[in-house]
Amino acid sequence: MQRKFMGRKALAVGVVFGLSGLLAACSSGTTSSETSAAPAATEAAASAAPAATEAAASEAPAAAGTCINDVFGAGGPEAGQGVTIPAGMLLAVTGQGSFFGDVMSKGALLAADQIREAGGMDYQITIGDHQSGDVPTAITETKRLISQDGIEVLQTSYGAPSEAIIPIFQEAGVLTFNGGGSSPAQLNQDLLYMNRMVYAEDPAPGALAWIHQTYPDATKLALIGTMENGVGTFKETAPAAWKALTGGEIVAAEQHDVGATDFKALAAKIKAANPDAIMTFSFGDDLGYQVKALREAGITVPIMMDEFTSQAAKIGGSAYDGVNFGVDFYSTANPNPWNQCFVAAYQAKYGEDPEYYGSNYYEQVFIVWELVKRVIAAGGDPNDAAQLQEALLADPTFKSVYGGDASTVGMVALDKVDHSISKPMGVFEVQGGVPTLITEIHKIKNGDDPMTALGPVQ
Amino acid sequence: MNIDLFAQLTISGIVLGSFYALLGVSFGLIYQTSKIFHLANAIPFAAAGYGAVWSASTLHFPLWASLVFGLAVALVFGLLILILGYFPLINRNATLLSLFLVSLGLTIAFPNLLQIVFGTQNLPLQTFGADGELGSAFDNKIFTLGFMTITLIDVLKVVVAWLVVLAVVLFVNRTRSGRSITALRTNPTMAAAVGINSRRVYILVFGIGSVIAGLGGLFVTAEFVASPSMALQWTLIGFIAVFFGGIGSLTGTALGGLILGLLSQWSGLFLGVQFAPVVVFAALFIILLVRPQGLFGKAAV
Repeated sequence: MQRKFMGRKALAVGVVFGLSGLLAACSSGTTSSETSAAPAATEAAASAAPAATEAAASEAPAAAGTCINDVFGAGGPEAGQGVTIPAGMLLAVTGQGSFFGDVMSKGALLAADQIREAGGMDYQITIGDHQSGDVPTAITETKRLISQDGIEVLQTSYGAPSEAIIPIFQEAGVLTFNGGGSSPAQLNQDLLYMNRMVYAEDPAPGALAWIHQTYPDATKLALIGTMENGVGTFKETAPAAWKALTGGEIVAAEQHDVGATDFKALAAKIKAANPDAIMTFSFGDDLGYQVKALREAGITVPIMMDEFTSQAAKIGGSAYDGVNFGVDFYSTANPNPWNQCFVAAYQAKYGEDPEYYGSNYYEQVFIVWELVKRVIAAGGDPNDAAQLQEALLADPTFKSVYGGDASTVGMVALDKVDHSISKPMGVFEVQGGVPTLITEIHKIKNGDDPMTALGPVQ
Repeated sequence: MNIDLFAQLTISGIVLGSFYALLGVSFGLIYQTSKIFHLANAIPFAAAGYGAVWSASTLHFPLWASLVFGLAVALVFGLLILILGYFPLINRNATLLSLFLVSLGLTIAFPNLLQIVFGTQNLPLQTFGADGELGSAFDNKIFTLGFMTITLIDVLKVVVAWLVVLAVVLFVNRTRSGRSITALRTNPTMAAAVGINSRRVYILVFGIGSVIAGLGGLFVTAEFVASPSMALQWTLIGFIAVFFGGIGSLTGTALGGLILGLLSQWSGLFLGVQFAPVVVFAALFIILLVRPQGLFGKAAV
């Protein structure tokens, strides 16, 4: 009896610590709690989700290739018809960030459909699940995509997992794009290109300059960040820019785990520091919980965010009214002809508007298509990632759904050296869950006067 | 020490701790009676939130009816897990570990099921107004006293949580059905000998526990949104409250939850907020080391 009791007790203690570990992973956000415990189950779920997406895709055909042909020219063998590109996507299919995986895959799948219908390459997508940022899972999934699915192109997401898989795709010679969690550690990496401005680092000086211009009396700044993305900006770039702009000080600097939902203590500490303005480098749903807690704590000073998602805005509710964010923000209203073609096709296929992340992964597929066409034109092998990269470096400018105007398609440029991108950025204000552009900002070099980040690229 | 900050963190700690107490009692009642690590208590938690959102937006239920509907959905899901998931295994004399693995599997699968059925979007609780338009279902007022603030939903959390704790403790200690629960918990063999039907008691505790978990899900949905992964983090805290406060004592579990909430908020006085989980787990470790039966639990004789 005693032995039975002890056994039960040992089981209880063992399980409670197992669960504690699960919770720690859960609250850290870098591991998706509901998925890390049983990979087999999540594999099934992961494969089910893309299958559902594929099914949805076949039910509602994508818009005809005509508007794509208007923008990109005629299809045919020169446009890659007959060429199959096995591609992988490493996304948050399950876990807290599943929304991001969903919209990213939707963007890429739509692009693949449109290109095929326009007489271009056959871009075959296989989706891997990093379970909302779990690094070991990301490594396993990347190896699977490379060894089993033979991918030649990879569209990755999130910061930490993308940094972890760099040696793997470099060794395998897989051309890789990240349009989600861009970070300084991913700069200057062979075969890796980011088509999102570097998270926090690029927009922060312009966003802070806008705060200084709009609220000239503000000298005390509070910073909020995670321990994952934008850490360098949180610790160095933003404090230096604020000092240069105002001569003021950072009165509070609070970091939190990714995936946190309880920000009451953080809000109380920020309030106690009595800042004139707040800049937060948090991202995802965390922002919604955070802004809500800040406003409910009675903090009324300006809040500048570094990301906007409709998902977080739903959590924030009315607390989001009046907050600002500075980012390379995507707008469905942009009259750029390709963008309007994209928006119409996305709405027809999925019954919803595209957003920031979906548009980035949509564009990546078109970048690959452009590279395939260039390699074919040069008589090369479009299934060779080295040749695709060579074509990219020869001319790193590409058409874009960002920028442009009613008669002109936007253009973006990848940096030949650090492989980052230059895109239009802006400071926006949110009202009723809808962002409105306040002013344009642009990337500046280290050491430049942050005020020069205001306005469009000269 | 900043007194204002301490006072605000104490208020936040009481709110958070009360919520932990609610979830702890939900899990504790089930665990103490059945000895099943019912991790799948996360399912009624999330099901209640989704049930409320769905009934309000699709069936045009008013707020009160959507909340009741959400609780009913939580009850149904909780009982389905017991009847279809656990009973067949118990019939085959499955070990507690087997039952736990089933529970774990269900807990992992359910968010993915929600994702497939409802999509990955966050779903706020919205009701139809007089103008026929969907709008915010709940006006979460903010009360201010000097530096300190507290919201209406926070006040409701504290009041509802402790009323539920009181009701469950009274039910278990003062009613015939409650005494059956105690009998089964303390001596299953003797309980069976005197004619207590363990299955009925299981149904009773799973029903009560699921509805309480559903209450938790409704609070989270009303304050924020319903989302596929909304439940697990909160549910795990409920488990920790049980082992922190004391196995075998619902009152201890509730107090354990309250202390956990206070500790996690007070840690902000001296450490960065990212260290709150570390403080909670350190406290749990120390308690299990010094008092394996939990802070308020009774040592086994």
